Amino acid sequence: MVVLKMKTISLKVNGITKEITVEDNELLLNVLREKLGITSVKAACWRGECGLCTVLLDGIPVKSCMTLAVETDGKEVITAEGLYSDERAKKLMESFVKHGAMQCGFCTPAFVVTSHYVLTKNPEVDGEELKKELNGVICRCGTYYQIYEAVKDAEKYYKKETKS
Amino acid sequence: MSFTTPYFTLPKFTYFKPKKLEDALSLLRQYKGKAKVMAGGIMLVNLMKERQIFPEYVIDIKGIDELKKISKTENGIKIGSAVTAIELQNSLIVRDNLPALAKAASYMGDRTLQHTVTIGGNISVGMPSTDGLPALMSMDSLLRIKSQDGERTIPASELVIGLGRTSLKDDEMITEIIVPYSSGLKGTYLKLINASEVAIATVAVSALLKERKLSVVIGAIAPRPYYFDHKSLQWKWEASLSENLKNASEIIGSNVKPMSDAVASSEYRKEVSKVLAVRALKEVFGGA
Ligand SMILES: Cc1cc2nc3c(=O)[nH]c(=O)nc-3n(C[C@H](O)[C@H](O)[C@H](O)COP(=O)(O)OP(=O)(O)OC[C@H]3O[C@@H](n4cnc5c(N)ncnc54)[C@H](O)[C@@H]3O)c2cc1C
Repeated sequence: MVVLKMKTISLKVNGITKEITVEDNELLLNVLREKLGITSVKAACWRGECGLCTVLLDGIPVKSCMTLAVETDGKEVITAEGLYSDERAKKLMESFVKHGAMQCGFCTPAFVVTSHYVLTKNPEVDGEELKKELNGVICRCGTYYQIYEAVKDAEKYYKKETKS
Repeated sequence: MSFTTPYFTLPKFTYFKPKKLEDALSLLRQYKGKAKVMAGGIMLVNLMKERQIFPEYVIDIKGIDELKKISKTENGIKIGSAVTAIELQNSLIVRDNLPALAKAASYMGDRTLQHTVTIGGNISVGMPSTDGLPALMSMDSLLRIKSQDGERTIPASELVIGLGRTSLKDDEMITEIIVPYSSGLKGTYLKLINASEVAIATVAVSALLKERKLSVVIGAIAPRPYYFDHKSLQWKWEASLSENLKNASEIIGSNVKPMSDAVASSEYRKEVSKVLAVRALKEVFGGA
């Protein structure tokens, strides 16, 4: 028999450090949605395929349905909600709207989070490389082209010289 | 991976995240048979969600720094077992010297997963479609395996012994991959996928050429990859490439016994194995 111990982890979520009590077998996805009420992080396939639960963990995109909450002790999670205070990311989101890069919108937060990571790393990302970078998120409505255009269009906000 | 509906929660277990290798090995011994190593966790978490495994203890090795190093010496290149697929692709040592591995790493799940998936976990899942093993086998890689009792080294080809099964003992783990070449390798990794770019392989072929040493490994068509070298391919170094390719393709065709499944039939996989092997060989011989 496994005796469950509750652990308190310290997690910085969208800029605010929180002490959260979790069990060892809890998924980050469940903690974010159910304990913290962060609903931009979507629960869909539960097996690491669709990518709709993607968040930035210490700046790196990870699928939160594949991540244990205990693993994230002492780390920082950023979701689409947290990106709204970033001027560049705000422009990126506006670009999604401008290009109509969504139909149902269910995958949009995951695409925003992932493309924010890509553009932060390289605002001059090659087109084919960009498609590869985004291949961990699935859009069932098929607005990939518009998403691609929206991200390409937002590159300018991420280039250092350009003031947003 | 099976296609049953996963649960939204995991079975209960106790989680450890040791910082030292010795501590991980001592936990593996203490909870022998009840503990599982977790590297990226991508396969482990999925298997737990599908209720296929119920480890009572999960030992996360991501906090152990010595498992995350890549280094090059005259005798070869050493890669820590917890190095991620992205780190392999970004490493200049790997990119410049082990092109087949860098390419295989670019196929280990989608780009997001590649930040998490590790080379040690990838080869340990024992699924025919994992991309790491054919590439490592083509380069005659060795695996350094440790337990509290000491260490042993095995060829990568001896790791997987059946579907989802490895030759590792319950209290052992892979700490390092040793590629016995440090430069001058020509290598490639080709993968046929029948759906999108992000999917498991129907057939995967890794080829390596180093002076007069040639190997071709065919993965994804059976529980264990098939290994051929210049001897088993009856390669004639003096003969023309086209003659050799024709011969090699026939030998491969008559020696592989691919599985049939929902993805492809055995006959189809056999034909594709031959085609990809020829393409891979042409590539390592410089296109001719
Ligand atoms: C949707 C999806 C698509 C994918 N597509 C592909 C693909 O096309 N090609 C591909 O190659 N991979 C693919 N993967 C990833 C692959 O299936 C495995 O999940 C992954 O490579 C496992 O790596 P990991 O580090 O997460 O291993 P883990 O899940 O941590 O471990 C896997 C197994 O190995 C054991 N283990 C881990 N590390 C060690 C060690 N150092 N020593 C001994 N045992 C160890 C664990 O106990 C466990 O049994 C895909 C995954 C998903 C979710």
